[in-house]
Amino acid sequence: MSYRVGKITNIRSPTNSIKEYEIILEDPIEPEPGQFAMLWIPRVGEIPLSFADAEGEYIKFIVARVGKVTSRMHDGLAIDDRVFIRGPLGRGFRQVSGGRVLLVAGGYGLAPLYFLAKRLKADGCGVKALLGFKSDEDIFHQEEFGRFGEVEVSVEHGLSGYRGTVLDLFRGMVRSGSFDKVYVCGKEELNLAVSRECLRVGVPVEASFERIIKCGAGICGSCSIEPLGLRVCKDGPILGGEAIAPILEADES
Amino acid sequence: MGWELEGMSLDLEVELAGLRLRNPTVLASGILGSSYSLMKRVEEAGAGAITTKTITWEPREGYQNPVFVDLGFGYLNAMGLPNPGMAAFKTELKKAAENIRTPMIASIGGGDEGEFMKVAEHALEAGCDGLELNLSCPHVSGYGLEIGSDLQLTCRIIGAVRSVSSKPVFAKISIHQARPDVVSRYLGSGADGITAINTIRAAAISPESMTPILSNIFGGLSGPCIRPITVAVVYEIRREFPDAPIIGMGGVDGWRAALELILAGANAVGVGSAIARRDLDIFGEIIEGLRRFLTGKDFKSIKELVGYAQRL
Ligand SMILES: Cc1cc2nc3c(=O)[nH]c(=O)nc-3n(C[C@H](O)[C@H](O)[C@H](O)COP(=O)(O)OP(=O)(O)OC[C@H]3O[C@@H](n4cnc5c(N)ncnc54)[C@H](O)[C@@H]3O)c2cc1C
Ligand SMILES: Cc1cc2nc3c(=O)[nH]c(=O)nc-3n(C[C@H](O)[C@H](O)[C@H](O)COP(=O)(O)O)c2cc1C
Repeated sequence: MSYRVGKITNIRSPTNSIKEYEIILEDPIEPEPGQFAMLWIPRVGEIPLSFADAEGEYIKFIVARVGKVTSRMHDGLAIDDRVFIRGPLGRGFRQVSGGRVLLVAGGYGLAPLYFLAKRLKADGCGVKALLGFKSDEDIFHQEEFGRFGEVEVSVEHGLSGYRGTVLDLFRGMVRSGSFDKVYVCGKEELNLAVSRECLRVGVPVEASFERIIKCGAGICGSCSIEPLGLRVCKDGPILGGEAIAPILEADES
Repeated sequence: MGWELEGMSLDLEVELAGLRLRNPTVLASGILGSSYSLMKRVEEAGAGAITTKTITWEPREGYQNPVFVDLGFGYLNAMGLPNPGMAAFKTELKKAAENIRTPMIASIGGGDEGEFMKVAEHALEAGCDGLELNLSCPHVSGYGLEIGSDLQLTCRIIGAVRSVSSKPVFAKISIHQARPDVVSRYLGSGADGITAINTIRAAAISPESMTPILSNIFGGLSGPCIRPITVAVVYEIRREFPDAPIIGMGGVDGWRAALELILAGANAVGVGSAIARRDLDIFGEIIEGLRRFLTGKDFKSIKELVGYAQRL
């Protein structure tokens, strides 16, 4: 229905541009990894955020500073402040049970993948995570992912881990043919490139997409991925390789 | 594909101001009618006709979030008529006109006579099958209900659009215009039919935050809670204007609600915010429900039920 009230119990700033918010809700919800919430800051705005974790009344968001609302969150929110959320919304990842899975994250795209890694590990999957960042200072959540499997980090400028883009790191890895499923969340180009590569080598893939979300209820049309007519807030945000195949082919040229 | 096979049986077919609908369901304006690909999905879901998002001449951003509230008993929205403007929308309209067989009604917005006419002409050029004039959106300054509240201006707009349109023109009204004298003037000015009703001006405040929820404060109320109002409006317009084509909408959330509006006098029934809960499957549910009802009751056609509740 309308908003659920949550209280911030912890805030961490792993990097200059990222904050993590741990929140306790008055009523528990049961989001699946990949689903998102609309978070409302009264008099400021309302934005979509992926669940980065959830258990009982506890939920976590990982928020990158982008513009109006995210900046107000970074600068203005403190422990014990209240936030308002509606959700869980959208369709989450279809989880495999067992097998080896590869997670590919670009920047804050690691948020839903962290929640997913936790679930996959619990379901007995072998998890490998590739986390892509711009530079050394941007790296975060490496140890956290380490709890659920192997982790490799890439930076475009810097000294840590693989030097280059996470896409390059991924390309070298997926051809080994030892993964049963790939999950990716990052910029659109990363999502599309990874999905295309997976379709080519025949590994099932799912990606988490972003568009401007307004109603969050599948009716206003704002978040449609064109020309597919798939609504990020209802048909997504998680979409499988087959569903987006038409834009992969069109994009290839 | 399912178009001829499933959708086209005669029992549910209706005629609406010269448009032939395979069944009485109509996608309401502002719901998924913003791109060809979304409209295509609505056609595939079974809709009998599709209304586009309201189109204005210039692009409009719309309001900031929050723009939508699920109240449980209904919905509140203040989108602010976001649309890419006629020039960009035209590409979508053309694709839709070429590839969608379900009648497409373009919803026209405007701040004055000139804008309504310009947008209407381009929509017709793009190949739409009918026009709906948004005279009733209750929360956008200079548009919708603010225009619709000026009877003389509204009649001039209707007349002007009528004069350039070879296709049926529907006047979309709010509860405030749902008076026989006003409707009579609209029909007299050239409206071929009436779409009733738009959302009702409303607001919601969160007791927890002690602030309004919508960024625009005011929005429009839709969903099941307004259905009794819709029923009364449709009933009264049908009673006063036995031959007027009416698209009834406001609170349709399944086949029983659709039937209720038909029994009150609607020739066709709009489906809007219920898609939030039922998604596109709601079209199939309404179509199947109406068909089952007809079969069980020995009526040959849904047309026999239009205004049936008024036979005292
Ligand atoms: C399903 C989903 C899940 C998300 N999960 C997370 C998450 O877990 N963590 C996180 O940090 N962010 C996430 N985002 C992105 C986040 O919602 C945006 O960064 C946020 O809405 C920006 O709001 P703002 O007011 O700070 O910026 P604004 O002032 O609104 O915008 C700043 C600039 O960013 C652009 N922009 C804003 N939102 C988007 C968008 N969705 N797509 C493309 N461009 C955009 C604007 O057009 C503008 O140019 C998610 C988005 C979606 C759709
Ligand atoms: C999110 C949303 C956007 C809408 N946008 C428009 C619009 O652009 N033009 C219009 O004439 N009506 C618009 N409406 C009103 C609907 O077309 C319809 O008249 C109203 O919602 C009542 O029907 P319902 O109860 O089935 O939703 C909108 C309604 C909603 C919920």
